[in-house]
Amino acid sequence: MIMGEIQVDAENKKYEPKIAAFLCNWCSYAGADLAGVGRVQYPATIRTIRVPCSGRINPLYVLKAMANGADGVLVSGCHPGDCHYISGNYVARRKFALIKSLLSHVGLEEDRVNFSWVSAAEGIRFAEVVKGVTERVSALGPNNGIFKVDDGGAADE
Amino acid sequence: MNNIINEIREKARQLLAEGKVDVVIGYEKGSLPLKATPCFVHSPEGVDSLIWDETCENNLAAYAAKTPGKKAIITKGCDSRALAVLLQENQLVRDDLFIIGVSCSGVIDQRNILAEVGEILEAKISDGKISVKGMEGDKEYLFAEVKDATCQTCRYPNPVMEDLHIGETIEVAQDAPAFADVVALEEKSASDRQDYFKEQMSKCIRCYACRNACPLCYCQECFVDCNSPRWLTGGVNRAENLFFQAGRVLHLAGRCVDCGACTRACPQGVDIRALNRKMTKDVYVMYNHEAGIGEEGKPALNEYTTNDPEQFLVKE
Amino acid sequence: MKISKEKFGQAFDALVPEYQVIAPVSDANGIAFKGVKSFSEVKQDYLNSKLPPKAFFFPQHEKLMSYKKEGKDVTVKSELKVEDTILFGIRPCDAKGMQLLDMVFKNDQYTDPYYFERRDKSVIIGLACSKIAPTCFCSSFGMSPAGSEGSDILLIDLGDSYEVEVITEKGKALAARFEALSDLSAEEQALVDKIKSAETASKVDVANTTSKLDKMFNSPFWDTLQEKCIGCNVCSFSCPTCHCFDISEEVRKNEGTRVRTWDACMAPLFTLHGSGHNPRDNKKARWRQRLMHKFNYFVHNNGAMACVGCGRCIKSCPVNMDIRQVIDGANKAELVVE
Repeated sequence: MIMGEIQVDAENKKYEPKIAAFLCNWCSYAGADLAGVGRVQYPATIRTIRVPCSGRINPLYVLKAMANGADGVLVSGCHPGDCHYISGNYVARRKFALIKSLLSHVGLEEDRVNFSWVSAAEGIRFAEVVKGVTERVSALGPNNGIFKVDDGGAADE
Repeated sequence: MNNIINEIREKARQLLAEGKVDVVIGYEKGSLPLKATPCFVHSPEGVDSLIWDETCENNLAAYAAKTPGKKAIITKGCDSRALAVLLQENQLVRDDLFIIGVSCSGVIDQRNILAEVGEILEAKISDGKISVKGMEGDKEYLFAEVKDATCQTCRYPNPVMEDLHIGETIEVAQDAPAFADVVALEEKSASDRQDYFKEQMSKCIRCYACRNACPLCYCQECFVDCNSPRWLTGGVNRAENLFFQAGRVLHLAGRCVDCGACTRACPQGVDIRALNRKMTKDVYVMYNHEAGIGEEGKPALNEYTTNDPEQFLVKE
Repeated sequence: MKISKEKFGQAFDALVPEYQVIAPVSDANGIAFKGVKSFSEVKQDYLNSKLPPKAFFFPQHEKLMSYKKEGKDVTVKSELKVEDTILFGIRPCDAKGMQLLDMVFKNDQYTDPYYFERRDKSVIIGLACSKIAPTCFCSSFGMSPAGSEGSDILLIDLGDSYEVEVITEKGKALAARFEALSDLSAEEQALVDKIKSAETASKVDVANTTSKLDKMFNSPFWDTLQEKCIGCNVCSFSCPTCHCFDISEEVRKNEGTRVRTWDACMAPLFTLHGSGHNPRDNKKARWRQRLMHKFNYFVHNNGAMACVGCGRCIKSCPVNMDIRQVIDGANKAELVVE
């Protein structure tokens, strides 16, 4: 995943953010797939990383995405109650609440880090979520915040 | 105090002589004024170096898992909470542990004293007063004035679990935790908070004293030392320092017992507690959970309820 | 010879446009060596900085070079940027520490350009200690609170003026910029003599430590010594003579940098091999290394002890490990016949 540079469309001078999207295999990834199959249009701002379950999300993934220059992060999993592994997203829910809260506390803009539940049937809603997140992150502009590592960066994984 | 010290020594002597434990982990007088230092007593002859007072600032639970054999530990309230979390997480064998509980009225934070009187030449503690002779002058403090910030709002001065209690217990007036410090920060604007943490993080030299002093940072391999994936570049700059601190704090969320060991250990005076306390408050407010207040139970993030709050979700 | 502080301040300010001037200032966290633009910013009355000034020659995190691959072309660029620098207000222990670091970064086969480019382009104005902290023990090592080793110019604070001693050629060139030098009065001379003859109250006996340590590799002393150490890097990072580092590549896409970062022998990662084997996989081995390196190996290799008695590690240690007690303990440890 390379989030190093800020994408600026030279022709239109339109800033297009890069958003790291961690999607759970069973619901949100399938939802994104459904949006694609159904030809639902949404901004090409996300870089999808498929994870087995939203419970797999390590807070460090979010921090690392911010450090590597992602302008935003979207984490999406199954609706509570629908987890393929019964309780993965319930456990994740507490973790997400705390990640969001801590990052806001240290002064990261609220809208940089986003969490949602999107089911495999919600292709249209997935597109809505991406649109919404893209709009809000675009409004914030490039990530020059407190987590962005100015130089060096890290080895690509 | 003297009675407590005598009792601690007597009990330690007994435990070692009877072969019930291999080592007693306590405190002895440090090499600097107002400093105690952790002390490992292996034989009954060594027990007379053990002390107990307001300078016993280290959290000895940090040694529990790393010290082999059966051990007795002089345990304050916060230390016992850390031991409880370690037991909840299966890091300790209860039978290898003999908890000598002592109630703690708080420990001294030297920082303010040092700022006022310079390097401390001599100090004496008696009757709740601390008289200090420093390079820049002398001063007498009331204990309450120099008590560590974390001890000011401590609700668990008495050990939550113990095999033996020494001395009297301390009555606690407050019944709900106070988070005035967190609220004060929360009420500031996002950019003010950002500025505050930027300043704090620029002080960090990544010596990892906070991590190593923490009784609950016990990962075999800390993420900062991990080579693959490489979370941090090894760069020592504000952004990476925050990555380290935020990563650590999130790892401690719902587990931190607010003993303040990290902040006291920090040679650079970084306000690490400001991050930990925020998590402690959130966990208390959202999940009505306090870490390590009993041997039973689980850390907050190992549990869930079906109606946990969801305000953090996107609006779509 | 002496110069009034007023005149010195003027000379100091006149040097600012030509040099990067580093001096002690008071910040949120105590005393730190930082770049200053005027003598008025300089903290006058201070014991010593929290962290040693070694970072100006040997930064905690330093880019050595950067590289980029474009098609088949690879460009490699040096990242070394050096300015003429004056380090003002360096205490005699730290100045001596720089001399010890010189021995590490230069030998008969190799001179470290990153360290020495900076070192050669800087002038050290030492400032003798008029106050001695209880944790100071430089006199143990044949040094003194007014020692001149490692300084190019040594100043002694006389209240309104400084006594100026030129130590090296480099110092002589710089001292030429100080005008209005005048002779000391008898009283001032007496003060200078007093400061020069001062010793630290705290001292450890290191006369036989090196030879004792020769025989102590397998001593049980190390078993109990390490128990309370929590294995952080505070002592190493706050030491004016600790110099271990790690070199790593920070690569992103088709470009990268090679960086050098302080490392510390107290960290398990320090000796971890690529295979997963760790030759010093316990605190006991690490503490033995730390003490041996400072008081035995370094002596054998360079003829001096790698400790200047600044006391920073004593003050900053979270568990109050006191190197003076450790040396003392080693001196007294019984030798085990193998």
